[in-house]
Amino acid sequence: MKRTHILLIVIIAVAIGVIISTVGDSSSYENFSIAAANPEREYHVVGTLARVEDMHYDPEQNANLFKFYLQDNNGEVSEVVFYGTKPQDFERSEQVVIVGQMKGEQFTAQKILTKCPSKYTEDEIQIDEYEATGTAPISEG
Amino acid sequence: MIEYIGENIWAGRLGHAAVILSFVASVLAFISFAASTFNKPEGSVSWKKLGRTSFWLHSVGVLSIIVVLFYIIYNHLYEYNYAWSHASRALPAKYIISAFWEGQEGSFLLWTFWHMVIGWVLMYSTRQWESPVMAVISLAQVALSSMLLGVYVLGYKVGSSPFILLREAMEAPIFSNPDYLSFITDGNGLNPLLQNPWMVIHPPVLFLGFASTIVPFAFAIAGLLKKEYSSWLTPALPWTLFGVMILGTGVIMGAAWAYESLNFGGYWAWDPVENAALIPWLTMIGAIHVMHAYKKTGNSLPTTFILVIITFLLILYATFLTRSGILGESSVHSFTDLGMSGQLLVFLLAFVLLGGGLLIARWRSLPRSPKDEGTYTREFWLFMGTLILSLSAFQILVSTSIPVFNKILGTNMAPPADPISHYNRWQLPMAILIMSLTTIGQFLKYRKTASKDFYRSLILPIVLAIALTIGTLIPLKIYAWPYVLLLFASWFSLAGNGSMLVKQFSKIKNAGASVAHIGFALMMLGVLISSANKEVVSINQSGVSYGEAFDAKANFENVLLWKNEGLEMNNYRVTYIGDSVAPPNHYYKVFYEKLNAEGETEYDFMLYPNAQINPKMGLIANPDTKHFLLHDLYTHVTQVIDKDAYKDKPKWQEAKLVKFKGKGDTLMLSENLLILEGMSLQMTPEMAEKVAGAEVAVAGKIRVKTVNGDIQLEPVYAIQNGTEFRYDATSEEAGLKISLNKIDPKTETVEFMIAEANPGPKEYIIMKAIKFPFINVLWIGTIILVIGFTMSIMQRYFEALRIEAREKQT
Repeated sequence: MKRTHILLIVIIAVAIGVIISTVGDSSSYENFSIAAANPEREYHVVGTLARVEDMHYDPEQNANLFKFYLQDNNGEVSEVVFYGTKPQDFERSEQVVIVGQMKGEQFTAQKILTKCPSKYTEDEIQIDEYEATGTAPISEG
Repeated sequence: MIEYIGENIWAGRLGHAAVILSFVASVLAFISFAASTFNKPEGSVSWKKLGRTSFWLHSVGVLSIIVVLFYIIYNHLYEYNYAWSHASRALPAKYIISAFWEGQEGSFLLWTFWHMVIGWVLMYSTRQWESPVMAVISLAQVALSSMLLGVYVLGYKVGSSPFILLREAMEAPIFSNPDYLSFITDGNGLNPLLQNPWMVIHPPVLFLGFASTIVPFAFAIAGLLKKEYSSWLTPALPWTLFGVMILGTGVIMGAAWAYESLNFGGYWAWDPVENAALIPWLTMIGAIHVMHAYKKTGNSLPTTFILVIITFLLILYATFLTRSGILGESSVHSFTDLGMSGQLLVFLLAFVLLGGGLLIARWRSLPRSPKDEGTYTREFWLFMGTLILSLSAFQILVSTSIPVFNKILGTNMAPPADPISHYNRWQLPMAILIMSLTTIGQFLKYRKTASKDFYRSLILPIVLAIALTIGTLIPLKIYAWPYVLLLFASWFSLAGNGSMLVKQFSKIKNAGASVAHIGFALMMLGVLISSANKEVVSINQSGVSYGEAFDAKANFENVLLWKNEGLEMNNYRVTYIGDSVAPPNHYYKVFYEKLNAEGETEYDFMLYPNAQINPKMGLIANPDTKHFLLHDLYTHVTQVIDKDAYKDKPKWQEAKLVKFKGKGDTLMLSENLLILEGMSLQMTPEMAEKVAGAEVAVAGKIRVKTVNGDIQLEPVYAIQNGTEFRYDATSEEAGLKISLNKIDPKTETVEFMIAEANPGPKEYIIMKAIKFPFINVLWIGTIILVIGFTMSIMQRYFEALRIEAREKQT
């Protein structure tokens, strides 16, 4: 067996490892019920803002806590907790993608992506990304 | 048919004509150069002449498009969609250039421009390679020029013209008005994120990098076509080095732009758009290393072909990813589909077929080295390093392509929720291996090295690297073992290549590789230190309880700063002083005082993070960064007060009755001091007009001492036609409303009703501050990398000239 053959096998093994790890690490676009069934996994949930009046952000009390309700594409509504600042103009977003996992009754989002109608080019949609800056208390997890 | 008024039609017509000229001439150039390639020597020359003429005609077309488009944007011809969509009158002149390439059409134009310039150089420097190389370049120009055509062929839209009129681009009732242009006085403006000096320089550099990858590709195709499998490497090598240098610079400039003007708090986020340009960069670095190995030893030729061809295909793939709209939700800054994704796919597949097909057809006839490389040879480890670089590129490619897999396989995968740890898991070990190999490869000779000599030569760099790692471990706070290994690998690379550089000092011209490796190692060191020690300064330490739902240890990175109230955080006292508006930007003045152990101010500085509160895009925060030699302090605003929320509050508090006992009596209010200066029949002209003909009219003269100086207020009491009238005096500045209620001449007492304004919103900002230590190491490393590449380019260029001269003699 030539050394090139051994190398080839190693490379193929690493490549397969890469693909498996990508599939393993990849999240998926799901709804709240799937996320609730698998609280240990992280999901992307796509939805729209629900119950705007119950949105909570009080920067004078805590600039790093934002709670709101999201209705997923199946129509299910869940409270979402985001340890970060409220994205500006959040109310106006047409679509929201949250990335995170279900913790009890609440969905804890690590990341929020909002889609707002963009001023720059009529048919273009502006996507913004907001990263959670706080971490949830460990005791709660 | 409406006769429109005021439109400048000829500019667009000229532009359209130039687009068609550039397209037709590129087709002609391709046909001529291809015919010249396959023709016998006699016919070949005349075809080549025709090819050159066509390419120059094509150049006239491309340059005319650029001039006309620039003319349209510069002269605010908003009847054109491109100018209207990407520019506005308020746009500073330097950003007119950015507006030029903000749109897809403009950026394709930039790419076409660089191919054209490269084509000029190639036509007069490649001699026997000219026809096949230029045929490939011309074919790419056919594809790129077609992106600007904007015509319908059999119902498919081919390209998108930058010269369509606004009224052709969209339907609106306003366009039934012949004089519609008088209503369109301004353009839509440039995306504020792109109004940054980096956005003037980053796109042309990046696109020059993109464009230069076609040169080694074209040479490889030419070599395969002519079955001259090795002589193309000599002229192609300096171009490949050039491509790596420029593409790398472009990528780093993009990172610098993200760092200086985006608010994700860093220079690299593994965003698909960033990745798309990084992948071909890695494969092209691999290509350089096997090219060297082949030139010296005859090994690794098939790998060289694969990497050179795949690099260009990956550039096309990057274009497809970022411009077809397929990334959609997974990237923050990809383009949306202009209806050209099909065309982009055809472009990509055509070159895949050309490169891949030709390589497969010639695969068996490629010369190979009869035996394996020995373990103690440089060529073997160059090959290994290239494999690791390719695997690194492959891993990024697979993870970035998730949206593409979804499209093909119909799956529903989302990108990793935590991209940083996903990529780091793979890229960190690869980086450690690659860094170590930069030294190991340098200490081995081509063909054969005595193993004893090799191990002996490694002693010094290993000892140095261990000493440096141990010495820097604690001060740099690097404790996790993968990072310790990377730290070691970086020092090992620096020590090895550093000692190599010392040895090469007498032949410094040949030391490009050592210098480039040192630059690369410094970049890695800079990335490692700045990200491992990145420290959020703005941790809330105000002691405010966040309620029981929060753990005390929980990490909150945004802090609220009340106006004029300093807050201590991480050895700084930070005060939000105020804001100033320079449309469209809103600057927040944040005053930093660095405190020493005793709490005294060591030094201070002001930062101006700005935000645009854009009616359509929300808050767009641009950070401001204070650069020190050893660290950067980066600050950006994450939230600002919503002043509109206070609109509904009543403006004035309830008025209070106050008695002044004669002239000179004073009253202290929460903000101001009031002094009664006396009563007078003289009053301001406006008041005098109001009370003209009154039976009685008296003004109370009150001096208000405010923090900003004195203000005179003169409320008036009058009796007109037997009725009492009270004319109050107000001052917004002092927040006071005063009316004269009653005068009692007997006791010399004057009664006033005084109302104070409700306190307005107490202003605040919420901001985040991050300290990046030693980030300058990353930028210095980049500069050294560029210097190293420049040295190598010179070396290989002169070598190519020498070889050519020798060939001429024989």
